[in-house]
Amino acid sequence: MELGRLEYLQALVTEFQVTDSTEAKEQVLANLANFAYDPSNYEYLRQLQVLDLFLDMLTEDNETLVEFAVGGLCNLCLDKTNKEYILEANGVEPIINCLSSSNEETVVSAVTTLMFLTTPRSRAQTTALPVVECMLRFSLSANTRLSNLASIFLQDYCSPPQVEEARNLSKHTAVGIPLPKD
Amino acid sequence: AAGSSGGPGAPCRHHAQLGACESRAKYREGWRPRAVKVYTINLESRYLLIQGVPALGVMKELVEQFALYGAIEEYHALDEYPAEQFTEVYLIKFKKLQCARVAKKKMDERSFFGSLLHVCYAPEFETVQETREKLQDRRKYIAKATNQRDCFVLRKVEGPKKTAAKNSEHDCPWSTSGSSIASNWDPSCFTSSPGVSHNTAYPSGNQNQSLLTSPHYDNNCAEISGYFGQSTSLTPSVHPGMYTPPASSMLQRMVPACNGIDRFMPRTTHLQERKRKREEGNKFSLIGTSEDNTEVVIGPQLPEIPKVDMDDESLNTSATLIRNKLKEVADSVSTSVEKPESSSAKPVVKQRRRI
Repeated sequence: MELGRLEYLQALVTEFQVTDSTEAKEQVLANLANFAYDPSNYEYLRQLQVLDLFLDMLTEDNETLVEFAVGGLCNLCLDKTNKEYILEANGVEPIINCLSSSNEETVVSAVTTLMFLTTPRSRAQTTALPVVECMLRFSLSANTRLSNLASIFLQDYCSPPQVEEARNLSKHTAVGIPLPKD
Repeated sequence: AAGSSGGPGAPCRHHAQLGACESRAKYREGWRPRAVKVYTINLESRYLLIQGVPALGVMKELVEQFALYGAIEEYHALDEYPAEQFTEVYLIKFKKLQCARVAKKKMDERSFFGSLLHVCYAPEFETVQETREKLQDRRKYIAKATNQRDCFVLRKVEGPKKTAAKNSEHDCPWSTSGSSIASNWDPSCFTSSPGVSHNTAYPSGNQNQSLLTSPHYDNNCAEISGYFGQSTSLTPSVHPGMYTPPASSMLQRMVPACNGIDRFMPRTTHLQERKRKREEGNKFSLIGTSEDNTEVVIGPQLPEIPKVDMDDESLNTSATLIRNKLKEVADSVSTSVEKPESSSAKPVVKQRRRI
């Protein structure tokens, strides 16, 4: 069966909503998340409410669905319209929650998505103290992908006072003797 | 770029070759069996890991083969990486990400001197700066492809500050560059061109779909308006083709259900826009898909030829001239154009000559 792009995406979304099979849901979601990499699809994806679909999947128990959903968001959130939509829909919070996932791809996608979603208006949320603290820990990780991204987050998206504050939170200072600055 | 043991050079989960998915619904089966995987900018890299290279002293031939897809910056064997008996593992670093992308697509699962190669991205070999540049390039690409100029830049990474603390990979960059960060952060620098939310046909591989049946747009119009009407009901029925979020989350989100002007564009305007996109899409009807989408593809899958800034005035001028010429041809002749832009990926053109 030959399908135009919109119909194809439509068919995917329909299958996703209608199917009982977890496997099919995962496949479809991966498919949509990959389509989200290509800007020529953004209008269709918006039309079909796929951004909401991704956002909704962030709170699923199924780790794979979360991984694919946050990957999809990572892929499309640089587009201004998509970015605004995600921010308006309070998408930052569930993405921050993804930082504590045990799934490496999920965490890595979440870090990048937060960077991409940072705007003057949103940065108070995307670089909130708990987030910065988390990034500090990640920047020390043996996982190079994660530590690279976390370092970029700290260097490019946080101010020195922010990082300092987060660092102080996790340090114990001996009374009267400040620790040497690194 | 390779780190010490335990870091890059160690087998990573994302190197693992997943089994192809057997259970796909017919309409979304691609030409080749594919695994279920999502590709993000974090997974992609200029670094490719190649496993399954027969241990016959064929490094030179291997590199020559990969060099068909673009300039290679570095390559070497990875002796510490676990390898099947009689095979070796290599790392190849391309100058450009899009070349690595094409090379991976073409060389993965290819037979090489009697052995099947497994090619995957190896982003863990990147330095912080390389990762940073990768993200920046992705930003620029999206801005260009969607005609948006978002000048919100927290740090001018292109500038001389780059050399200050950026090259260090430890997490303490707060010395001299500290004050300059704050000064770059003036929120008033955030300007952007008015977002035109419909994209100007970026000619990526997925355009070939537009050759096929034209979408029944009036259906969608009806469904879109129907969906909004239902937004406050507790049990919205499933609108085929449009994702209906659970009612509770709709209320939570408090999102204006429409995304702005484009949802309510008059029908004729959309049709015109579709026609335009289809015409531009026709030019690239033979170009294959970008990522591992399991979409229905018409015609042979060819490497994706991205429309990107080639960082060179004369190349960009040539590319624009060629693009315009293609547009002319596409307009005057309704059949698709066979020859892709040759200027954007010279090694790829070579590849395409085979019958």
